Amino acid sequence: MKKTLALILALAMVFAIAISGTASAADPVEVTIFNSKMEIQDRLLELQDEWNDTHDDIHIDVMYSSDTVAAHMSTKYASNDPYVISMVDAKDIYSLGPEHAIDLSGEPWVEYTSQAISVGGKVLGFPVCVEARGILYNADAIEKVTGEPFDPTTIRSTADFQALVDKLIAGGMEAPCGLQKEDWSLGAHYLQQVYEMHDDPDAFIAGIKDGSIKLIEDPVFNALMDAFDVMKENNWMKDAPLSAVREDTEMMLAEGEIAFKYGGNWDWANISAFDYSENMGMMPVPTDLEGYNEKLVGGGSKYFFIDNSVSPEQQEAAKQFLNWLVLDEAGQEFLVDTCALVPAFSNITLPVSDPLGASVKAFADADKLTANYNYAPDDHYAKNGISFQKYLAGQIDRAGLADEITAYWATAEVGAH
Amino acid sequence: MNQNTASYKVKQYLMFAGPGTILFFGTVIVPFLYGLYLTLTSWDGTSRSKPFVGLENFVNAFKDTTYWQAMGRTVIYSIFAVVLINIVAFALAYLVTSGVKGQNFFRAGFFVPNLIGGIVLGYVWQFVFNRAFVAIGKAISTGTTVSLLSTPNGAMFCLILVSVWQYAGYMMLIYVAGFMSVSKDVQEASLIDGCTPAQAMKNVTIPLMRSSFVQCIFLSITRCFVVYDVNLSLTKGEPFGSSVLAAMHVYNQAFTYKNYGLGQAEAVILFLVCAIVGVTQVMVGKKGEVEA
Repeated sequence: MKKTLALILALAMVFAIAISGTASAADPVEVTIFNSKMEIQDRLLELQDEWNDTHDDIHIDVMYSSDTVAAHMSTKYASNDPYVISMVDAKDIYSLGPEHAIDLSGEPWVEYTSQAISVGGKVLGFPVCVEARGILYNADAIEKVTGEPFDPTTIRSTADFQALVDKLIAGGMEAPCGLQKEDWSLGAHYLQQVYEMHDDPDAFIAGIKDGSIKLIEDPVFNALMDAFDVMKENNWMKDAPLSAVREDTEMMLAEGEIAFKYGGNWDWANISAFDYSENMGMMPVPTDLEGYNEKLVGGGSKYFFIDNSVSPEQQEAAKQFLNWLVLDEAGQEFLVDTCALVPAFSNITLPVSDPLGASVKAFADADKLTANYNYAPDDHYAKNGISFQKYLAGQIDRAGLADEITAYWATAEVGAH
Repeated sequence: MNQNTASYKVKQYLMFAGPGTILFFGTVIVPFLYGLYLTLTSWDGTSRSKPFVGLENFVNAFKDTTYWQAMGRTVIYSIFAVVLINIVAFALAYLVTSGVKGQNFFRAGFFVPNLIGGIVLGYVWQFVFNRAFVAIGKAISTGTTVSLLSTPNGAMFCLILVSVWQYAGYMMLIYVAGFMSVSKDVQEASLIDGCTPAQAMKNVTIPLMRSSFVQCIFLSITRCFVVYDVNLSLTKGEPFGSSVLAAMHVYNQAFTYKNYGLGQAEAVILFLVCAIVGVTQVMVGKKGEVEA
């Protein structure tokens, strides 16, 4: 008796599993979306609820992880449970895309963007937004001290910048600059400019690797370090640069205690939380490098790719979702107004509301963005970030920094592209 | 029913320990063996192919100087932390068994840090070191005050301090049990025989508590060697990578630098070092155990 009962129960269980496995045709297609942009997670969750209430055919499910993107993806792929749509960094498209992403070349949005990532002739990455790096300034704070309206286009050299900083100090602003200590800010964002401001970054890195280029003698490196030194000398956390807390520096800038901070338009997510000044914006790092000192560094940032191992229906639904973001008015509003992102698509004409994003958009529209270099190895930012932190803390000098970076490249290999 | 047949024993085992065994195999043994297999590949963590490279990862692990620096740091950290944890825990246990008023309240109080997860604890202490201490320093001195976390030695000091704070309460409980297990008779007898309280402690109580010491030292050694959570949330390896402990280096190697096979090989080495130290300590410790 007991055995029969057990058998019946077991059969019932198998049956239940079998039923849940073979979903009927009327069920919506499940599209999982991985978000790696912390500041828009709440907005995406709102979108998810709204979308699922209004769409019967496609059901979206947004997930977030604070883990390193590459690390999180590797756990998902190791457990054979990939997301349908994943938001990753540009470098991850190159490393993951060829094996895991579907070709999006035929999609209608491709013609509207110059920022999509193609590998081997296939469009694999959908640019979520445009982000750029440079100096964030608080014009109100500068004007208050100098008494003159601030025009960022007048700062075209390190000397101009130094003069303005001196003026601010003379006017009573104790230390006008702010620098972050994070390895990604120093090792990825600032240091990579050295590659990006060469006309051929690959050739430059190859030169460092084979010793034909001495980094310490390189004019671009020195120009960028000169500009960095001005900020380092006038850093409000000069005495303890490695205890600088990012949010503190952002607050100082927002409230006009300092006038400049090296960063990018993503800082707005934090700055907007403080009592911020109206007139803020972004300007290029004030180097003496002709041409490059008129441009911010940046481009597409965060890319969606669609996994190729999920069902064709899911792939189709995922494509529809991406189309909705770019082509549908509601999708455009979601990107630009709700998430305050700078769109990477020319057909989206909605004005960007935040001042840093508006700056980036103005530079992008004027074609004044130096392209990102997306092929640095995965350990580049961390290892060189450590060297840069030593420089910031005064443990090594410029030659020491150049030596450590050169030593790094002796064994490192640029990612395939 | 004959209780000596093999089938009876197997059935009994499966009934009581079967589910546990299956779970243990599924979550510990299988991943461990799979991990060992991965040390023989040059897998990057995401690719579908796992190229077989033999023992190359182990050779590279031995050549990885930053790994051995992190390992050296871990050993130093562990020595300081283990000694301090046990001294503090023993002292606390002595105090809360000596009959002070409200000793149960104190026991609970000292144990609480152990209930807070290492991640949260790291962030809390980060705030204390970066803000509270700096603010106090500024208030009482005129010079500039720098957060302890921004200097290499300071960061290691902070790690040790927080670990001691976290684990001392837990080890205290084991020592409390040890104190309670020592019979009052022998303590009293030693006092009547003319021991001073300090001599009674040294010659009677502590030898009888030897098993507590063995346990506590084993637990603290194994925990200190593989510490990761506090390391991550308190210092993140900063400043300039000078507080990266072995487990964090392994994680970075496997996931951030995408050398999964190499990271896994380094994890295996860490496991072996930790196991050898732990087992040796237990063996040496057990040898001298005495009974009243």
